[in-house]
Amino acid sequence: MSESKGIELKGKDIVNQLAVMIRTGHFHTLENVAVENAIKRFLEIVNPLFHEEDYIRIDLIGEFFYINDTRIRYPIELLLNFDFLIREFRRRELGTISFVSPLKKEEVKEFLRCFLKAAFSNTPFETLEASLERIDSIQVEKLKQIKEDETIDKRKLVKKTYFNAVSFTRGVINKIRSGEKVSIKKAKRVIESVVDTLLAEESLLIGMTAIKDYDEYTYHHSVNVSILSIAIGQKIGLHRRALTELGLVALFHDIGKMEIPVEVLNKPTAFTEQEWKLVRRHPFWGARTILKLRGFDKTSIQSAIVAFEHHLHYDLSGYPKIRSRIPLDFYTKIVSIADQYDAMTSSRVYSRVPLPPDRALSVMMDRAGSQIDPILFKFFINMVGVYPVGSLVLLDSKEMGLVYECNPLLADRPRVMIIVDERGQRLKKGNVVDLTERDTEGKYLRSIVKTLDPNKYKINLAEYLL
Amino acid sequence: MVFPDEIKNFLQSLIKAKKNLHLYPDNNPIYIKTLDDLYNRLATLLDSQDDITLTFKQFDIFYNSELVYHNDDKQESLALFFFKDGVREISFKKGIPKEEFEDFMKIISSDFERELVDDDVVTLMWEKDFRFIQYVVDDTILLEDEGYEEMATKQVIASASSEDQILKAYEEAFGIQKAPTINIVPLTNEDLRNIVEQIENEPLDKSDKMLILLFEMLYLADGQAEFEEITDLIKSAIKYAVEHGNLKALIHTLKSIKEITDKKLFPEKLLIILKGVEYFCNSQIIIKSFGNVLDQGIEYDEDLIQELSQVMDSSAIPHFVNILGQLNNISSRRTIIRILSELGKKDIKLLARGMSDRRWYVVRNIIYVLRQIKDRTVMEFLTKALYHPDKRVKKEAIRAVGELGDSSAVQNLRDCLDDEDESVRINAVKAMGRIESPLSRKYLLEYINNSRFNEKSFTEKRELLLALSRYRDREVVETLTRMLKKRSLFKKTKLTETKAAAAFALGVMKEKSAYNLLKRFVNDKNTLLRENAQMAIKRLGDV
Repeated sequence: MSESKGIELKGKDIVNQLAVMIRTGHFHTLENVAVENAIKRFLEIVNPLFHEEDYIRIDLIGEFFYINDTRIRYPIELLLNFDFLIREFRRRELGTISFVSPLKKEEVKEFLRCFLKAAFSNTPFETLEASLERIDSIQVEKLKQIKEDETIDKRKLVKKTYFNAVSFTRGVINKIRSGEKVSIKKAKRVIESVVDTLLAEESLLIGMTAIKDYDEYTYHHSVNVSILSIAIGQKIGLHRRALTELGLVALFHDIGKMEIPVEVLNKPTAFTEQEWKLVRRHPFWGARTILKLRGFDKTSIQSAIVAFEHHLHYDLSGYPKIRSRIPLDFYTKIVSIADQYDAMTSSRVYSRVPLPPDRALSVMMDRAGSQIDPILFKFFINMVGVYPVGSLVLLDSKEMGLVYECNPLLADRPRVMIIVDERGQRLKKGNVVDLTERDTEGKYLRSIVKTLDPNKYKINLAEYLL
Repeated sequence: MVFPDEIKNFLQSLIKAKKNLHLYPDNNPIYIKTLDDLYNRLATLLDSQDDITLTFKQFDIFYNSELVYHNDDKQESLALFFFKDGVREISFKKGIPKEEFEDFMKIISSDFERELVDDDVVTLMWEKDFRFIQYVVDDTILLEDEGYEEMATKQVIASASSEDQILKAYEEAFGIQKAPTINIVPLTNEDLRNIVEQIENEPLDKSDKMLILLFEMLYLADGQAEFEEITDLIKSAIKYAVEHGNLKALIHTLKSIKEITDKKLFPEKLLIILKGVEYFCNSQIIIKSFGNVLDQGIEYDEDLIQELSQVMDSSAIPHFVNILGQLNNISSRRTIIRILSELGKKDIKLLARGMSDRRWYVVRNIIYVLRQIKDRTVMEFLTKALYHPDKRVKKEAIRAVGELGDSSAVQNLRDCLDDEDESVRINAVKAMGRIESPLSRKYLLEYINNSRFNEKSFTEKRELLLALSRYRDREVVETLTRMLKKRSLFKKTKLTETKAAAAFALGVMKEKSAYNLLKRFVNDKNTLLRENAQMAIKRLGDV
């Protein structure tokens, strides 16, 4: 398949203009001048590309659009239009649109008409495909359902990346403890692998953060915060290099905890005021450790800033108490959100009762604007969904399940692993059902009616994920 | 189809190119030719197939399972170069653009042993996000503990929940109240703009923020030892900041120390430790780093330089003087001069001490700085500089003395009139003219009346008479008039020059009484005299 500069440069414009055209079509009749202009602009972008391409094929794979096999990256300004178009594709079970020859205005208008109409059908893709038969230049293909064995292979890879990162973190922390040198090159490689996995399998990797290993909390927490931070960074359009930097600083955000005496950190009962004082010093120790170990360079400075600030809060009301009224670093704002969420949903030695994911989000929502950046939190909540991975849910089908994978486009319709069926039978490794599935009348097959606290019943998603 | 021998040859060329690209800058013709040749070779190979895939073992490279390269020299081996970072396979795809291939070659030409590179070859390739070069990496080299995944999985599964608990949850689920769901607020364009703004406002260098936090850490330090540790970190941070051209960090540090010291925010023994940071900020290490940054072409706005000059201590003066002689760029020296012109006021004598520097240009620059400071206390040093062996220094000193207008230096300026260099004499004349003291006048007149005066160049004579013209008294007018009237059969050219200079001076004085005399020369056949007379008449006409 040919690959060209034209596609790389124009790809985002094609996807964006397609979204604009469909959006405009939703609000106006197709004869309206706004729609006409949108079509005209779309043709101006697409048709010149036929000088170097035999066809233009737009694929939706996972959360990304590909044009002629080139993944389309988009600036954050276009995020809403990209998300909108993904929703529109999914609503019609549409996976691919191919333009096989230069387009005419009337053809695009007809396509738009069929596309808009198909949304109201119970079999939207089939309706769209049939109605497009008379347009030779435009072809469509159905959205490919991920096969279960493909998912299993992907899960294996994701799991490997996740545990490599945890194992590496454990090694690093042990090395620092024993005064050994830490290789930043290796750390970068580990995070690059996390970034790659996240870009390919975002939902699965975020799902891995739901594993809460009580005994290995520190290492899991560091990796989870790193993954969640990279995911937020990805959502707001940071480039790969910045994502690595963000992941790296997030990985070391709690490094100062190493200095807290083990007997305090592992104390099974509540901390005394004096012990809390020690715990609250970890941001100070973290910044100091990083700078002493690594000296001064761009990454160590960024890491030290985040390590120092990650409990400071958006309004600086947290700890350590500081005199200057300086705004929080941008990376700190991201890491703080990831840190709060993971800490709240984890069982730690000094806080044994974790909150269920949806409850944690609700608490964080109350803190938006004071403890955490409200806009970044909006990105976060849009990313993890109303029912984040690990949520225990009761469905209207009388089945109970665990949220297994979130749906970034339909936040209240995740994929759920059924662990108790409608007859009240426990299932060892139950089916994973997609809450976007509908019956022949277009009604959803299952919907969430209640959430439960998985920790109350000591239900750990890890046993289902691993 | 590409044969293994062709790949062998290509790899040999690639190894040679790797060395060349490392040695030459990317605008060098050898660099350009090397890259072009190698790229063309690759493109030719790719003409006959879609990709070329190389696989790596420790010291070997294979193509289609055939050995095409072997070298077990740990320093030189191309195979090991990739293998040690985990690269096990590299494919070059048909259609690879030259820019992408150049990026690849630049990466492999880096000297990973010597250069301070925090990235390995895989990271550098990853960051480039190549599209036509694909590689397979073995990440097991990163593993700290190969059995960790298995162990952790078992551990987590072992703590799995019991069936009873799950069923209990199921039973209770029907009885519990429905929890309110969270409403997801959709993102708006305003949100996106806000995030874009935040990303764009992120500074590239955060060392000034780091310093602010390090100062906060001083307040959080528990005991003297921790306090000392933080001050050491502050010193390193300042060094880093200055090396990266961040002057704000240095200014912030000095201001913070001043505030802490003035308000006595720490006990005396800690303030003494903090004083060490201040000393470091004004030290040779810091100022030398600053000089290097300036020579790299970084420019600062006037206000920042002014602020820096104000917060720095006079102990930095000798270091600034020192780098003045080491900097390569004029603009860098200009910046240091700007700093010294402000900072020097804090200890002029310390600044003036730099005039004993053996480098003439340093001395000249210091004199220039002293001129800017305009403080008469430096006359003693300037007077000495009038006898400096280098005429460029002398001239600068003469200018400075003239501008300061101190009559105590007139005697020394008089000595300069005997200098063998005309430009020195002219400068001395100008300076004496500016000082306008009776002694100046006396020496100038004496000089004019000297028999050797007529032998001087027109320029020197003109400058001399111009200096004298400042005095505007009868004697001066008469002297000039006499000169203009003078006739002689000998050395007529020199005499005409003297007359032309006198005409010029009378014009500058706007001496009306000389009008008729000047009128006589407006049509003189000698161009120099004629033009100077005409100019003088014109000036008189303006009166």
